[in-house]
Amino acid sequence: MNLPSIEISSRLITLLATLMLMLQLLLVVQRMLISNIRLFALQSLLLAVIAAVVAYVYGAWHVLFVAVLTLLGKVIFLPWLLQRLVRRIKIEEEIHPFLGMPASMLICGALTVLSYVVARPFTSLARLGNNTLPVALALLLTGLFLMINRRKAITQVLALLTTENGMMLAAIALTTYGMPLVVEIGIFFDVVVAVMVLGILVFRIRESFDSMDVSKLNELKG
Amino acid sequence: MLLTSILLIPLVVALLCLVARQRILLTALNISGFAIGLVLGLKLFRTVLAREGAAVTEWGEFLRADALSAWMVLLISVVSLATALYAVSYFRRDLAAGEVTAPRVREFYVLTPLFAAGMLLVVLANNLGVMWAAVEITALSSVLLVALYNHTTSLEAAWKYIMLGSVGLVLALFGTIFAYAAAVGPSAGMALPSFNWSRLLEMAPQLDQKLVKLSFIFVLVGYGTKAGLAPMHTWLPDAHSEAPSPTSAMLSGVSLKIAVYALLRFHILSAACLGGEFSQHLLLGFGLCSMALAGPFILTQKNLKRMLAYSSLEHVGLICAAIGVNAPLTVLGALLHMGYHALTKPVLFFAAGNVQQHYHTLDFRRIGGGLAHSMPATALVLGVGAVAVSGLPPFGLFVSELTILAGGFASGNAWVSGVMLASLLLVFCGVLIKLARLILGPARAAAPPREPVAAGRTVAMSLPLAALLLFSLWVPGSLLQLLELAANIIRRTP
Repeated sequence: MNLPSIEISSRLITLLATLMLMLQLLLVVQRMLISNIRLFALQSLLLAVIAAVVAYVYGAWHVLFVAVLTLLGKVIFLPWLLQRLVRRIKIEEEIHPFLGMPASMLICGALTVLSYVVARPFTSLARLGNNTLPVALALLLTGLFLMINRRKAITQVLALLTTENGMMLAAIALTTYGMPLVVEIGIFFDVVVAVMVLGILVFRIRESFDSMDVSKLNELKG
Repeated sequence: MLLTSILLIPLVVALLCLVARQRILLTALNISGFAIGLVLGLKLFRTVLAREGAAVTEWGEFLRADALSAWMVLLISVVSLATALYAVSYFRRDLAAGEVTAPRVREFYVLTPLFAAGMLLVVLANNLGVMWAAVEITALSSVLLVALYNHTTSLEAAWKYIMLGSVGLVLALFGTIFAYAAAVGPSAGMALPSFNWSRLLEMAPQLDQKLVKLSFIFVLVGYGTKAGLAPMHTWLPDAHSEAPSPTSAMLSGVSLKIAVYALLRFHILSAACLGGEFSQHLLLGFGLCSMALAGPFILTQKNLKRMLAYSSLEHVGLICAAIGVNAPLTVLGALLHMGYHALTKPVLFFAAGNVQQHYHTLDFRRIGGGLAHSMPATALVLGVGAVAVSGLPPFGLFVSELTILAGGFASGNAWVSGVMLASLLLVFCGVLIKLARLILGPARAAAPPREPVAAGRTVAMSLPLAALLLFSLWVPGSLLQLLELAANIIRRTP
């Protein structure tokens, strides 16, 4: 392992992470539900590639396992599951967010700047992919914003999954080697099961309310 | 193999319930599983005591139980056993009334042991990442239990619970990752630093301080959401009031305390790395905030189970605040309080379940009063539970609250104890006024007929109450010894 290769891969990781952030911003403005799911799949693919790069550079083969899991789970299985759910409950294609496109874009820009400011004290850590922490935080914050801004239950699930991508990015990049394998596997299966549980709930909500608009869930107060 | 079997038994029960069909078999499996769990929990209790606080470990330190974990294991097994006993009559009546279908009841019997297994893994796992995954398991299994009735309101509650819970858990995982990153620097050279809590505690002084600080803040908000600390508590009254009563009892009785336990592990770590003030002040602030918030909501509450949920919020707040004060007495009092609350709250939720099944509503105004006439056995249990939960003698919550308050005053935190006392008083008035009117007030004209006497149900309901009374009057010396060991772990004094 010579230094230049670390230098190059560090840049590669930064580039990929930036692309993840760009996809996230596209998600914010994209109004079609199916495209949203595909954007998420693409974002997860980038995450898998980052994991593979880290695995290759450090020879940390368990991170490669994480990359494969991400590929199978988040790039293939979950998007398939969500698309099937969308078709099965025959919801309309378009998302009607609370805030319009320009306002959402501005807010997400502000959130990204904020995460760079917050992460600044930690980016001096001389480690591979040390620029990814702000990206991870930005994914978290914009994901939370997406969750608030969208009415449909399934888009909230998608937003949750993007925050989860941010977290995996932090886990892979910040800690150099990723987390211990048992932890990664635990996190992975929890995410898959969480989406399945959410799917069950979405289905039941759709049946009972005849809608997926979660702003109608407002009976319980006080 | 003790820890492994404690974990495996509820898991096996859940798997067996997946294939079992008859309801009698399902209940028998659940009850016997939890009964064995309690026996094993007692054995763990004695093992930990015999080792004078040295941790029991298995699978190369993958599972680890010290005094604090042993105490939590006891709480989990007691509450799950009480729940399983009460669920028998509860679901018999629900099925007869056509409120639930048989497959749904089976769902309950599969998910409840899974829920318990998740909680047990939280307290027995040494690896902080595994602990996080286990907390997520408890959230996922309980969310389907909350949605069991499939009413519009229960779906709403479940949705809010899973959404807030998931966001909280994402934040908690961020915090967990930061804790791990803090350990990467000092252990450079090793391919993979250990993520075991015990190992992190050993190297605490060398951890990256900034990252540990960041980690604790994320974890506090994250697990704090799951523990129902204000202002992240908004899911709590919804989920607790819409879940079937046995599940409410589990959620309130132990699940909240499990989240507090997870928080405590990080508190101990951060105190060892940064000194105690940082995390203590945060715990104290969030705890007092929860306590202060609960009172007004209880005073204006219209729904019986929501009121009980806010009372849980208040007790969790008290526990966190007491640990935040960090005097020897307050920490001991907080641990004692966990135990007494775990025995009291299920009783109240069981009684509330009876009321709901009899009146088909939980609204105070629609029930009116006269519970003492229409359902005397339930009214008695509810009344005694109310006296216990509002902290009146001779019940244990009086002792633990007094211990906490006295500890606060003695350690010079007079204003903290003052705020605690004020909010406790407010809740005391609220709970007693509401329940006194419900039980003793005049009955409405359209009140349903008298509840039929059901001996099995009454016994199942009052068992935890009997245990509460017993342990209120007599705390075994060995138990006190265990609690002292656990308090020493939290306060980091040998």
